[in-house]
Amino acid sequence: MVQTRPDRTLGPGHDTFWAGTAERKLLIQRCGKCGELTWPVVATCDHCGSADLAWEPMSGAGKVISWCTFEQDYYRGMIPVPYDTILVELAEGPLFISNPADFTREDIAFEMPVTVTFIECEDSAGLFKLPVFRKA
Amino acid sequence: MSYMDLFKVPDPTPELSCRAAVVGVGETDFNADYKAARTKAPGYEGQTAENLATLAFERALADSGLRREDIDGLSVSFLYGGPGAAETATMLGLSPRYMTDRGGGICAGPIPVACHAVANGECDTIALIFAAATRSIGRKFGGQRFDSGGPSSYFYHHPWGWSSQAAHWAMIWQFYQQAYGATEADLASVAIQLRENAMRNPNAIMQSPLTVEKYLDSRYVVRPLHLFDLCLVNDGAVCLIVRRSDLANEMPHVPVHIGGWGHAAVKTNKLNTLVRERLRPQFQEAGRQALAMANVALSDVQHFEGYDASTIHLINHIEGHGFVEPGSGLEFCKAGEMAPDGSLPVNMAGGILSGSYMHGWNHVAEIVRQLRHEAGPRQVKDVAISMFSLAQTDQVHPLIFMRGTK
Repeated sequence: MVQTRPDRTLGPGHDTFWAGTAERKLLIQRCGKCGELTWPVVATCDHCGSADLAWEPMSGAGKVISWCTFEQDYYRGMIPVPYDTILVELAEGPLFISNPADFTREDIAFEMPVTVTFIECEDSAGLFKLPVFRKA
Repeated sequence: MSYMDLFKVPDPTPELSCRAAVVGVGETDFNADYKAARTKAPGYEGQTAENLATLAFERALADSGLRREDIDGLSVSFLYGGPGAAETATMLGLSPRYMTDRGGGICAGPIPVACHAVANGECDTIALIFAAATRSIGRKFGGQRFDSGGPSSYFYHHPWGWSSQAAHWAMIWQFYQQAYGATEADLASVAIQLRENAMRNPNAIMQSPLTVEKYLDSRYVVRPLHLFDLCLVNDGAVCLIVRRSDLANEMPHVPVHIGGWGHAAVKTNKLNTLVRERLRPQFQEAGRQALAMANVALSDVQHFEGYDASTIHLINHIEGHGFVEPGSGLEFCKAGEMAPDGSLPVNMAGGILSGSYMHGWNHVAEIVRQLRHEAGPRQVKDVAISMFSLAQTDQVHPLIFMRGTK
């Protein structure tokens, strides 16, 4: 079932990320100069300012280091409340805000291992695959 | 003015310390206006930035004892819209030789900029006005209307349904509970302490007692944060009149000198800095700058006003600046150390959690009253040095204030 979601940020760079998820890949930018990974998508490296950025597929493995549940409906019913959000520390380092795929707030243990999966979604720009996380 | 330009401050050099002082303060009727807006009393028409600003200015001018023609500088910060500085000057009958439009809201930028203008001879006496008709214009703090222009964490995670300042504090608080074994009842102590402070301030919006039970029974906004963990939304204005220090001694009130300021921003790994470090590197760096500029030590600070966008964020300030060790802020609060008679009285007017959401300006107004020793039942005894700390999700800007002599 396709879920309706609030709009993505699109444009140069951002489009590459979403083209990656369409192929079930989680792509993150790595700086060719300082070697650091940066997320969300940037035009120049957050760490050193270099524009020499290359896309690198992540393993998809990570652990949940924090989470919060939206009880207030900030998106006017687009996502039925309450719904859970999680902060995943990817195995490669970056922190990634996402949703749980096959568990809820009550199942979460601190630093619980998870792995990426992709769900069918739609926003005002069309269909896309959203990276979310299931228990590893 | 770009987002980051709003927060630029002059270098925090000792040469600029205590060159200017607050000699007048005015606030609008936060409590009465909030009640009127909630009950839609007959004849209530809502507020505008213009009428709020005018009232705060007239009160500050009267408080200062100065004449209108003495005001030769004007700085306006009309969050969510309002007239520019030139238009405001006309509206208030002023002819300033120095004017600046901050465009934004927070006071940690405009105050140092005003001090620099005064030290630089661009004006002698400057009125700084903040106004926001936040409730009357129906401002929302999350969802898709909150979009680009600010930090990416304010809009980038929309597809996952994650936005709002509350969500930032919620992620911090969940992590904090895991890291330090804290509970929701522990965090309630912060909301309760600030409510008690607010109840000693007749102009604070929240005046009914808060208990742990009432806190725990309140709805979640973004779980684990309850309603009482998040700041108010209301209309209001604050005006400060800042004057050259050497002209500030022959005034009705004891001058409150602006001793120092600092600024540090998160440049990389924002979510990690926010959730794991809770901005500690930025609190430490910006605090060091402000204290060094004012030539005081952290242990000299007798009263603290921190930007309490949420209860847990106030704890971020207390721990981040180093008043207590990381992880011990809630025990500090529960022990009564943040009360008026505690070792570090905090947010004596109720902050923005229970006082009034004036984006930090109300914290500074309270510092002025405290350092004048005019705070009545909530007066911190013999206070001579107060620290204000403003921090959003990505930067920290402290200010040090010192009681002068008449």
